[in-house]
Amino acid sequence: MLEQFTSIGIFIFVGLGFAVSSLLVAWIVRPKRPNPLKMSTYECGLETRGRTWIQFKVSYFLYALVFLVFDVEVVFLIPWAVEFLKLPWIAFIEMFIFIGILVVGLWYVWKEGALEWK
Amino acid sequence: MIAGIDFSLLTVEIFTAALGLGLLIINLIVPGNQRSATGYLTVLGLLGILLVTLSYEGVEKTFMDGMYIIDPFATFFKRLFLVAAILVTISSLPFVKKLGYNEGDFFSLLVFATLGMMVLVSAGELITLYLGLELMTISFYILVSFKKKDAKSCEAGIKYIILSAMSSALLLYGLSLVYGLTKTTIIEQIASTLAAGTMQPLMALGIIFLLAGFGFKISLVPFHMWAPDVYEGAPTPITAFLAVASKAAALAAFVRIFLIGFPAYQEYWITLVIVLSVLTMVLGNLVAIPQTNIKRLLAYSSISQAGYLLLGIVAFSSMGIGAILFFSIIYVFTNVGAFMVVVALSTSTGSHKIEDYSGLYRRAPLLAVVMLFCLLSLAGLPPLAGFVGKLYLFIAVIEKGYIWLALLAVLMSMVSVYYYLLVVKVMFLKEPPQNSGIIKVPNGLQIAMVFSLILIIVLGIYPKPLSDLAMSVAHTFFPFSF
Repeated sequence: MLEQFTSIGIFIFVGLGFAVSSLLVAWIVRPKRPNPLKMSTYECGLETRGRTWIQFKVSYFLYALVFLVFDVEVVFLIPWAVEFLKLPWIAFIEMFIFIGILVVGLWYVWKEGALEWK
Repeated sequence: MIAGIDFSLLTVEIFTAALGLGLLIINLIVPGNQRSATGYLTVLGLLGILLVTLSYEGVEKTFMDGMYIIDPFATFFKRLFLVAAILVTISSLPFVKKLGYNEGDFFSLLVFATLGMMVLVSAGELITLYLGLELMTISFYILVSFKKKDAKSCEAGIKYIILSAMSSALLLYGLSLVYGLTKTTIIEQIASTLAAGTMQPLMALGIIFLLAGFGFKISLVPFHMWAPDVYEGAPTPITAFLAVASKAAALAAFVRIFLIGFPAYQEYWITLVIVLSVLTMVLGNLVAIPQTNIKRLLAYSSISQAGYLLLGIVAFSSMGIGAILFFSIIYVFTNVGAFMVVVALSTSTGSHKIEDYSGLYRRAPLLAVVMLFCLLSLAGLPPLAGFVGKLYLFIAVIEKGYIWLALLAVLMSMVSVYYYLLVVKVMFLKEPPQNSGIIKVPNGLQIAMVFSLILIIVLGIYPKPLSDLAMSVAHTFFPFSF
């Protein structure tokens, strides 16, 4: 038991050491010529124009939810597909009921117009 | 493993799920102006499922190693939810007709919330239990904020989401601590693991988290803050459903976890339950007095009723559980009855202020009489059903020697008589406002109200059949009276 943790411990220390030493070497070697632009906090992307506290379109959220549902469907489908031959026939029907429920959901989303970008 | 499930035991759940999905599909096929008819279909479907539950009389089976339990206790509560759902569906018909959008979804969500409650009371295992709880609460999030153009409804929805999410997090944390210490999520195995050992500090923390998590759902003081605001903002039928069925469901799960799972530690958590019960009864009743909005008044009254219900758990006996079962059924009819009057009045006047109930007796005698009997039953005045329900609860705690607790409960019932009678006074003694006509009540609502009224009176005078049933169910569920 403990031996297994030793290897994890060594792994952590080597990993930490690698990161710290490379940062340290870079800090020693690199030229130091600070200017205001360099000192400013880095943020990715372009600089914002106007106020950032704007309202987002709720459709983003709807898309994310629909995406998530079908993502989870795949999570269920993969183990089912892998073990398919060993499963009793009822598992086949159960999966179709599951997909059927999701299809009804998709139908609903479609009809309610959540898939259109308005 | 899958072949080992006896699907016939799950008929009620499968039918409910099919009904919910079917309503959704019908809603997609039927053109918009005819969708409000799905309400009648929902009532029929739920009635059918209620008939199916009759075939479960005395069935006591567990499957998948105790993950899911079909016992008289669960079946009793399933019937309660179905009855509540039917009454709520009937009382939401006028609301949905006026709504003008997503009519079918409303009923579909109502059915799914009911399904969540069923899973919650039948779960013999912590994860299944959580699943049922979330199915119920997520359906309620949408139902609470169904009036999407009404600011108060949206506010209620947001408050409910945030506070429910927090309470769910607490509950999950508690569940994970319990799992961590017992290495099992099955409630019966938790009990046998705990019976051997002594109380560990982490276990105490887990129990406290569970108590807090369930406290939110049952709206016990000090976890009740969400209740008045959410009850006020939600569509009135949903308020009734939230106050009655979701509370009963969470209470049933609470009873199952604590009485079956943690009987070894009862001396620890019963003290906490007593504290919560006293706080809930006192605060719920006292804060109800100055309310001017009928929905807030009923919200506080339902908080205080939860305090009385806890007495049954404090008793820690089959008598106590029987009293909880009996009281919950009566609570369904009295509370939904009162809310039905609120629905009927607000569809014609659009107001929830108590002062707008003035002279209700002249304008709509039926509404006033139903409200009168519901309020008196909630207050626990004989010979109405609420009196018998409270009597059983008080006897159960007195049997265990908590006489002071019973006295306090009686005292608080006296206080509640005061604020209930304030409403009655407005309805019967004040003059109706000028230019107010007679209020028309839809037929379905009238039938449901009269049905509740008759039950409140009959069960008050002749409670024996129901109390026998409740006691026998309680006895098979928890055969101890130590």
